[in-house]
Amino acid sequence: MIRFPLMKELGAIVGIVVFFILFSVLSDRFLSMDNLASIFTMASELGIVAIGITLLMISGEFDLSVGSVYAVVPMAMAILINKGQPDVIALIISLLLGASLGLLNGIVTLKTGIPSFITTLGTMMFWRGILLAVTGGFPIMLERNSRVLNIFGGSIAGGLRYSGVWFIILAIVFWIILERTRYGNWVFATGGNLGAAKALGIPTDRVKIVNFIISSLLAGLAGITTFGRFKIVDPTLGQGMELEAIASAVIGGTLLSGGFGSVLGTFIGAFMIGMVRSGLVLAGAPAYWYRAFIGVILIVAAIINARIRKKVAG
Amino acid sequence: MSEYLVEMRGIKKSFGRVQALKGVDFWVKRNEIVGLLGDNGAGKSTLIKILVGYYRPDEGEIYFEGRKVSFKSPWDSRKLGIETVYQDLALVNLMPIWRNFFLGREVMKGPFGTLDVKRMKKITIEALKDIGIFVRSPDETVAFLSGGERQAIAIARAIHFGAKLLILDEPTAALSVGETQRVLEHILEAKRRGIAVIFITHNIYHVYEVADRFVLLEKGEKIGDLEKSETTPEKIMEIIAASSVGTMSR
Repeated sequence: MIRFPLMKELGAIVGIVVFFILFSVLSDRFLSMDNLASIFTMASELGIVAIGITLLMISGEFDLSVGSVYAVVPMAMAILINKGQPDVIALIISLLLGASLGLLNGIVTLKTGIPSFITTLGTMMFWRGILLAVTGGFPIMLERNSRVLNIFGGSIAGGLRYSGVWFIILAIVFWIILERTRYGNWVFATGGNLGAAKALGIPTDRVKIVNFIISSLLAGLAGITTFGRFKIVDPTLGQGMELEAIASAVIGGTLLSGGFGSVLGTFIGAFMIGMVRSGLVLAGAPAYWYRAFIGVILIVAAIINARIRKKVAG
Repeated sequence: MSEYLVEMRGIKKSFGRVQALKGVDFWVKRNEIVGLLGDNGAGKSTLIKILVGYYRPDEGEIYFEGRKVSFKSPWDSRKLGIETVYQDLALVNLMPIWRNFFLGREVMKGPFGTLDVKRMKKITIEALKDIGIFVRSPDETVAFLSGGERQAIAIARAIHFGAKLLILDEPTAALSVGETQRVLEHILEAKRRGIAVIFITHNIYHVYEVADRFVLLEKGEKIGDLEKSETTPEKIMEIIAASSVGTMSR
């Protein structure tokens, strides 16, 4: 059997190289600093959400509500700041709100035994509805400058933004947690064989609940980076994002059924989606083509990744 | 020191209206191999799951090494040295051998408590070699191993972590003749190291060779408790058959 590092992420790595070359040939502007920076920002905002989703999916659960949380958290922060709360307080309260939305998903799922797909489909609609009701459908603009917000989504230089720094740091931190800590071992075991994990005394319910919280917290944090970029929160922000985040994870090799996956793969998957989005536009394709194209990539990636998985993990 | 490693007295357990155990007494002496026999639904698994803390009994008491215990989860019993190898729940197929070997007992290093991967891989290979199992690489995922190899790894894990009682749930059910033989040898090896074993099966011929005593369950009741010296496989089969004819209208 052939064995080398990055085997799990092989499909995603080959894919991203192919698209990179393809789009570079199709458009001169693709390789411009401006464009690469904007791809990086798009990939970061999506990728931070996708990292949380990856952890949760590996432990055998699902979160469709991340798109709504992605909007709820910055919305709460915007409202708090506009009401005169200090930035840091607003930040902490809104992140705590994000975490508690994840806790709610986890408790409902585990206490009632309904699938997380259903729980989070419900909370996705619920929070989106609340958001639209509270704002009357209108966006909320930040009424003053916020230094704290700049640390999340402000620009650094040359079109690069802090969201990219957060993305890289979070990817490294969660890669270490997943691959190099006892908790990561438990996450894989919980999703890989729930009965065995329980029989060996792994606190599987706690692992899942923590992952629901992480997923929601990261979705909220990603929403704040986007808020930091636009200084405005639209109540429809992040609609459809849950599916792109799941697509990033699947393209990166994470199994929908749990027990297998990689943060590095998701990192690459999110980049691929950002790259395709910008590459297609620059290549002159109408913007509508983007979704269709991502759909095809998703299916092809899932097929290739299934083959690779059979080779490396049986 | 008590002669008994485990003593369960008057264990009762119901699931809804189904009475799975109707007051069972069960014990295991030190360094003894007990064959726990019975048909499907006899209550073997329920009894074991109560012993390890997966379920709580409705009534009855459990003693381990002479002390009364009340396990809240399998983790509690594992800490005291009771290791269970379930048929399908022993290992996680998508995970490498070394991660399975240390699951729940990871070795950590450094100030941040990260996994000591190198050390765990090394110990895994040594512990397996120690009871005569050779694997190509500790990185290999369990999915690539045969049923016998999986049982062997789970048994080696129990031995390595100093189990006092090893519980095997149908360890030979899906194995070829040759692999069954090898698993039986691993069980005897565990006994040689001073470990007591509960061997759950419905096939008397698999367990007869290695067990010292046989406990027969049927419909949640103990219908037999026999030393090997006072019985034969045929006799045991007869007791089980007679009991199920008597209570079933099939």
